[in-house]
Amino acid sequence: MELVLEYVIRGITEVFFTPEGVFDWLPIIMVFAGLMLGIAVGATPGLNGPFAMALSLPVLIWVFGVNNEALLPILGFLIGLMKGATLGGAVPAILFNTPGTPDAYLTTLDGYPMNLKGEGPKALKIAHLSSVCGDTFSDMVLFLTAPVLAVLIESILDLPEKAALIILSLSFMAAVAGNAPLKGMMVGVLGMLLALIGSTLSGYGPRMTLGILELGNGLPLSSAILGVLIIGEVFIAIEDSARERLQRRNAVRSPVRGDNRLRWPDIRRILPQIGTSALIGTMVGALPGIGTTLAATLGYDVAKRLSKHPEKYGTGIPEGVAATEAANSAVSGANLIPVMSLGIPGNFAAVFIILAVESVGDFTLGPHVFRFTEIKVIEGYGTIINEDLVIAFAMFTLMVLANIFNWTVGGLFLRSLGVLARVPKSIMMPVVLLITLTAVYAQDGGFIAIWVVMFFGLVGYVLRRLDVSILPFVIGFLLSPRLEELIRGGYSASGGDALFLLKSPLALAFLGAAILILFFAGRRPQRRAG
Amino acid sequence: MPKSEPDRRKRTAPDPWDIGFGAVLLAGSLLALFVWFPADIRGGFFHVNAIGRSEPGDAFFPVILASTLALLSAVQLALAVLRPRPPAADAASGRLTARNLRFLVIFIAITATGLAVMYWLGPLVVWLMRAWGLSDAEYRHLSDTAPYKYIGYVVGGFLMTLGLIVWSEGRIRRGAIVTVVVVLAMAITIFDLLLTNVLLPPNAEF
Repeated sequence: MELVLEYVIRGITEVFFTPEGVFDWLPIIMVFAGLMLGIAVGATPGLNGPFAMALSLPVLIWVFGVNNEALLPILGFLIGLMKGATLGGAVPAILFNTPGTPDAYLTTLDGYPMNLKGEGPKALKIAHLSSVCGDTFSDMVLFLTAPVLAVLIESILDLPEKAALIILSLSFMAAVAGNAPLKGMMVGVLGMLLALIGSTLSGYGPRMTLGILELGNGLPLSSAILGVLIIGEVFIAIEDSARERLQRRNAVRSPVRGDNRLRWPDIRRILPQIGTSALIGTMVGALPGIGTTLAATLGYDVAKRLSKHPEKYGTGIPEGVAATEAANSAVSGANLIPVMSLGIPGNFAAVFIILAVESVGDFTLGPHVFRFTEIKVIEGYGTIINEDLVIAFAMFTLMVLANIFNWTVGGLFLRSLGVLARVPKSIMMPVVLLITLTAVYAQDGGFIAIWVVMFFGLVGYVLRRLDVSILPFVIGFLLSPRLEELIRGGYSASGGDALFLLKSPLALAFLGAAILILFFAGRRPQRRAG
Repeated sequence: MPKSEPDRRKRTAPDPWDIGFGAVLLAGSLLALFVWFPADIRGGFFHVNAIGRSEPGDAFFPVILASTLALLSAVQLALAVLRPRPPAADAASGRLTARNLRFLVIFIAITATGLAVMYWLGPLVVWLMRAWGLSDAEYRHLSDTAPYKYIGYVVGGFLMTLGLIVWSEGRIRRGAIVTVVVVLAMAITIFDLLLTNVLLPPNAEF
């Protein structure tokens, strides 16, 4: 226990002090700036957290570099962005009946009617309170479960089991993240295949480059991911806004001014919904691939079922706003559980946390992080310590810091952002396209990055239109190099046994589960993705 | 009301988009296995390392992935033909419509025009200046000098962004023009003035 405490204290110290022992404002400022920007981004229709994280990452890398000292300020900013954007999404939903993201649709059900009754500011206060409660609860669960899970995994899983676990995760994401599990798995494998372009492990020169010299260093990772996630969405949004220009939905501004103070009886009234939804959001978030939409839907549905007056839901009651916001915010912390304990990103925000960690410094995420190595100071050599574990606890500290800012000033800032919710998507999306193209060009130093981002944007557009989830594609693309190393390593370690994956009972169980998940998910009735 | 026979047949008829999805990826994976990889991966399925031990080569993992993709695609194809699912409620869901393709063509045309202007305008201006005897420098010598380094980015970026806005709004608004100008100024400030060792498009090409 003393050792755990020692690592926790070192993690906290890492955030607040430089190696020379001087108080360091930078990570604190970066968390604050990230949170504020995140709230603003979330409040702008058409923008969301992963969007802003994707665009910020290259800029942050230019500003801070890629050494170890840069990691915490960069992670602080991204964590702030991630949390802020989840909260900010309530603004357009409540004030303008414009859900920026699918999960925010549930917030409009009661938030917008509250606004029509002149209680818009109160609805925003409820959204803020519920959101930070859900988020904080979810973070607590992350802090407690990720280390335990990681230690467990590290002690029982070897190369074949880890490889099989990645396949199982991909299969699970394909099954739950979209409408067509088999197609999801296919695009996951396709993503893995494309990620190998330009790489080599045996020194014979870059493979699969199609003779394009610029691909000799591999596909620019962030350009490819930005393409699928951001540009694909930009394609869709521009097409939709061109189509919708004749059928715009006009939000009504209420001339009524209701009671907008949030008093203790109001808070007591929504506490059960906050508690239930925080639990639901955390459980949903801990599973890779299941997003905030399902959490918000379940949170709202359960609150309605447990209510004595379910008929009042949808008419503008605080419980409806609280149930949705607590559930979707509780996803963000728990979504880092598979990242921290397995190194497998479960959602798009986690993808950018992993990208940041892989691009900056020596730290890597995964079960090895939580090895509680005995701290020893050896004269003339230095200190033997698991630096990765210190960084992990520093990351937790950054999350707590973001929550503190969120509790204290997040609500005030949130309520001042009504104007952003009026920015039309038709202007925002082309601007995002221009900034993205500029950023990838500057980052990767050439038009090849622009072609890559546009090509992958097209892939993202086609997959979205075909109703195939893009999450397995992105996760497959990101995890492919690791899976290749595990498969090659496992094969070599087994002495060249082609069936090495099937020789371990646990790996066999994981693979069997992957197939069963796809099989049963494929038998469920067809529904719309989203 | 009972469904008529043609209605029932339509509800369970194989979906050409499901079949097409499987067929395209099956053909792609087979092409990769038998044409692309043999021509484009120099290391074999196995290779002998420096200490004489055989270990997986560069083709090992791609072949496993492409084979898996071929297998999954074949299953998808078979299921689409043998066990068709009832169509989704939204008829436009899960397929690319003619309207989507028309959108893509216009979108790509506007974007490609903007990018082409971005790429060529700076060098063209410098070439014209040389032709008229106003300068003897080439673009690559001026690609980090104002105003040449901004010409392509500003004009191409402006055309592309405003073009997309005007297309999606169906009109030109002064607010949109001002927004695009402000965004371009901000991008230049961030990517050119504040960040060192970073070049705006297309200046790294020359």
